[in-house]
Amino acid sequence: MQHLIPEFDKLKQRYPAGFESSLVLPCLRRIQEDRGYVASEDIDGLVDYLGVPRIQIEEVLSFYGQFRRKPIGRCHVQACRNISCSLLGAERILDHLKERLGIAPGETTPDGRFTLSTVECLAACGTAPVLMVNDTYHESMTPEKIDALLRSVP
Amino acid sequence: MANAKLLMTFPVTAMSHTLAEYRARGGYGALEKVLRQMTPQQVVTEVTASGIQGRGGAAFPMGRKWGVVHPNDGQPHYLCANADEGEPGTFKDRWILEFAPHLLLESMLIASYALQVRNAFVYIRGEFDGPYRRLAGALEEAYEAGYLGEHVLGTDFACDLVIYRGAGSYVCGEASALITSIEGKRGYPRNRPPRLTVRGLYQKPTVINNVETLSNIAWIINNGGEAFKKVGHPKDPGTRLISISGHVARPGVYEIEIGHPFAKFIFDDCGGVLGGRALKGVIPGGISTKVLTGKEIEPLTLDNPSLASAGSSMGSGGMIVIAEGTCMVRLLQVLLRFYHHESCGQCTPCREGMGWLHRIIDRIVAGEGRPEDIERLYQISKWNDGTTICGMGDAAGYATSGILNKFRDEFEYWIEHKRSRFDGTLECPRSS
Amino acid sequence: MPQIFINGTPVEAEREQSVMEAALANGFYIPYFCWHPELSVAGNCRICCVQVEGRSWVEIACNMPVSEGLRVLTDSEPVKEYRKSIMQLMTLNHPVDCGICDKAGECKLQDYHYAYNGARSISVDTKVRSTKFHPLSERIVLDNERCILCSRCVRFTREISKSNALGIVQRGDTSLVRAAEDHPLDADPYSDNIIDLCPVGALLSRPFLYKSRVWYLEPTPSVCPGCARGCNVAIWHRKAEWKLHALDPQQNARIDRVTPRENAEVNGPWICNKGRDLAKIYERPRATQAMQKGKIVDLDTALVAARRLIDGATRPLALVSSWGSNEELEAFRQALGGRFTAWVKSDHVRQAGEPLADDLLIVADKNPNTAAARALFPQQDDGERAFPPDIDLVLVWGEGFDFARLPPKARVIFMNSYLQPENGHADVFVPISVATERTGHYTNFQGTVSAFEPCFARPAGVADAATVFAAIAVAEGVQA
Repeated sequence: MQHLIPEFDKLKQRYPAGFESSLVLPCLRRIQEDRGYVASEDIDGLVDYLGVPRIQIEEVLSFYGQFRRKPIGRCHVQACRNISCSLLGAERILDHLKERLGIAPGETTPDGRFTLSTVECLAACGTAPVLMVNDTYHESMTPEKIDALLRSVP
Repeated sequence: MANAKLLMTFPVTAMSHTLAEYRARGGYGALEKVLRQMTPQQVVTEVTASGIQGRGGAAFPMGRKWGVVHPNDGQPHYLCANADEGEPGTFKDRWILEFAPHLLLESMLIASYALQVRNAFVYIRGEFDGPYRRLAGALEEAYEAGYLGEHVLGTDFACDLVIYRGAGSYVCGEASALITSIEGKRGYPRNRPPRLTVRGLYQKPTVINNVETLSNIAWIINNGGEAFKKVGHPKDPGTRLISISGHVARPGVYEIEIGHPFAKFIFDDCGGVLGGRALKGVIPGGISTKVLTGKEIEPLTLDNPSLASAGSSMGSGGMIVIAEGTCMVRLLQVLLRFYHHESCGQCTPCREGMGWLHRIIDRIVAGEGRPEDIERLYQISKWNDGTTICGMGDAAGYATSGILNKFRDEFEYWIEHKRSRFDGTLECPRSS
Repeated sequence: MPQIFINGTPVEAEREQSVMEAALANGFYIPYFCWHPELSVAGNCRICCVQVEGRSWVEIACNMPVSEGLRVLTDSEPVKEYRKSIMQLMTLNHPVDCGICDKAGECKLQDYHYAYNGARSISVDTKVRSTKFHPLSERIVLDNERCILCSRCVRFTREISKSNALGIVQRGDTSLVRAAEDHPLDADPYSDNIIDLCPVGALLSRPFLYKSRVWYLEPTPSVCPGCARGCNVAIWHRKAEWKLHALDPQQNARIDRVTPRENAEVNGPWICNKGRDLAKIYERPRATQAMQKGKIVDLDTALVAARRLIDGATRPLALVSSWGSNEELEAFRQALGGRFTAWVKSDHVRQAGEPLADDLLIVADKNPNTAAARALFPQQDDGERAFPPDIDLVLVWGEGFDFARLPPKARVIFMNSYLQPENGHADVFVPISVATERTGHYTNFQGTVSAFEPCFARPAGVADAATVFAAIAVAEGVQA
């Protein structure tokens, strides 16, 4: 994460003095964006840079659903399975994904292209069922749209 | 009844969120007025006079919350907009973030002026990548135009704003957990006392308001608190953004004047139930509010007093429509799985109770339910009522007891017959 | 001073107190797991709930500030019902490990179950499983199934020892107490206090694991000799009535464990890990036989020989033990103080890897009674100072002296507890008792005096130092 430090220095300027601890979440997000996950050496580097206890970073990484400490597939397919999506076919959508990708939620395809996850409400209930693919919402999904989406991933 | 619009006052286009378009609509006029003509105390007075209640779910009067912060106490004060919007069924703050980000920013600047806040934050849930980019773009525009920084609009008022991104945790929508998250830690809610307006972010006085609640401030300043009070319901003034979804023909975000007839909203404004089916029930304001049957909503109006009389609440404004034929046992299973997954784990009743509720409903659905399970679900709900660190335990209890109260027979059926009374899926076909 | 009412009784509370503190200070018991007088309020266990008169609901007492006229009930029906519900929730996933758990007999969960609930679990669902025997550090084993996530251990490492070693990872009912991945708990010299703090059998001492059921043991008050702080401790050993012939003698008479004894002026409720390991000091192989130049003699013969040496010396010097008790030091002064030049010796010095001193308890002087010794005998041996050339007799009391420093022609009387090679080099060697075998007092570096009591009998052949001093003293002008 050392090459990210100039960015972090700029970020720190935006916060009041004494807010070093607050930088944990934004720095971890940026590290994960850069590497694909957060590695142990990233944690060490962040401990040095921010001066926070290592355990705080470990706790944060394990508490929040979006952080990961291991790499995943190139395309992270996250299917909402909460109430409005369920009322509009999320279970069917998930079954379709499982069948097409041949994996269960939590797993990655052998070729490393796709990782499948289930997630909670994404606040896109009006256009359910919803998938979040990497950072993008894909709304009003149907099996056909899913097939087109999967085909489009290199 | 006049259907006033205070927020959705412009057609959404590809550019309507930009600074230029916002200014063309009169945007930042309220901020100018405040900085040139009003004292901070006058702003607080105006907001208090409006009677506006929180639109995040707790309905706490905004003026009363602001009033706890002591001016000139020598401490930094902080303001956080709660853009975590995690309550299932709710997507109305997202509308503001995507289409009216400057409305939020201007309102936050006015609030910061009123509360002597030098550093303001927007806590936005991590999944909101699109809305974040919109808001970040608006923030950059606002800085460039001089609406933020050391001298806002050339005055002595200084204010900086940081957008803080969450990382996937429902409980961070709870105000004290939100603050603890901004401190760079796990989103653990805090016991009160002390109130956050006394000791919040880094133990300093902090005001947390919902995005929609804050976004009303510009209108209140432009038109006056008294004028705001005349809109909507005398005990619950203003308008609300309702995000409606589920088995409804025209889902989406609508602005209604508070007090709008409930049934009219669903059947006229939103096109009624999908596939022309009968209305089985409605969860009015996010899953933590108690479900109402189709029959029950007939005499009700969309305001807190009316819904309270029926044992429910406007909550977060996330309305979920449920068509006849939907299995309520499976529906409760989805909710309990959610609460179990999202419990932070701090306090005994919620940590143990959420898992217990989830395991019981799973067992019922698997055909291994027992008659005493229904009482057990009620009992665990009661043990979480008012006895936990934050409201999440209570919420799961309300969702559970609410559904059991209205649809107990379905649970008894499943326990006895080891299957759903219906076809067991939750989906309703879009067309009949 | 706000006046509050607890169960109708007026109580004078202090201004910043919580209802919990006011209640406990005035003889009212409110149960608690996560609350601790020395730690910040966590308010997560929820069992301390009380009822404010006039309200139908219950609220936690540990975070309720006292206010003038506040009226609370600690044993009303709603409170009792609520406590039962918390016990049901706490034991929902708690493994029924009592039969194999070291904490049995001193476990709050057991105690409160019997005091407040007594009912079986009403759950028919499988318990959540978690890690058992997780090595939290070299010294502490963690059972996550037993853990009630009260966070006392975490708060201790953040607020008291400041090692920041522990945290809680994941969330919900899969939350786990864990140490940071770079193993800082091993480096925390106060780590073992979390074993005392843990209200259940989640955190257990590995050295003590499965050694004994606690009800077979009794705690004897003692003072840790590890440094000049003199933390008050309890040394646990087999109760007299539970010394069984079926057990080997060593098990009947050993230090099973050491725990803190609370003393607000000295150590509060904590000790450092060195104090936990007192067996490592006191249970080294003991010297039990008197000797003359390595030849075993009986004690009386040795004492007579020592008396003759003292009688015949022109310039005797004594190296006084800084582990001698106040009583032993006084006995030396009375018997031999006039005759001997006395230097106070540091029996122990800091070992490699041992913490030197910190802001909490540990002080640099690794001897328990330097203060009392120096008060009587102002001169200190620094481990290097040269002996005056005319010294012809050296009385070495206690261990830690480098015999190479002795003047070549001087005779040596050596009094020591432990089996060490130097014992055989002394002209007269007398084996002496250790602090766990007698009554006494130590004075710590701040002048506070603490008492210790005997746990074990003196081994046969071993004498108390005070007795030896009286026996070998020669009254001025009186022939031996």
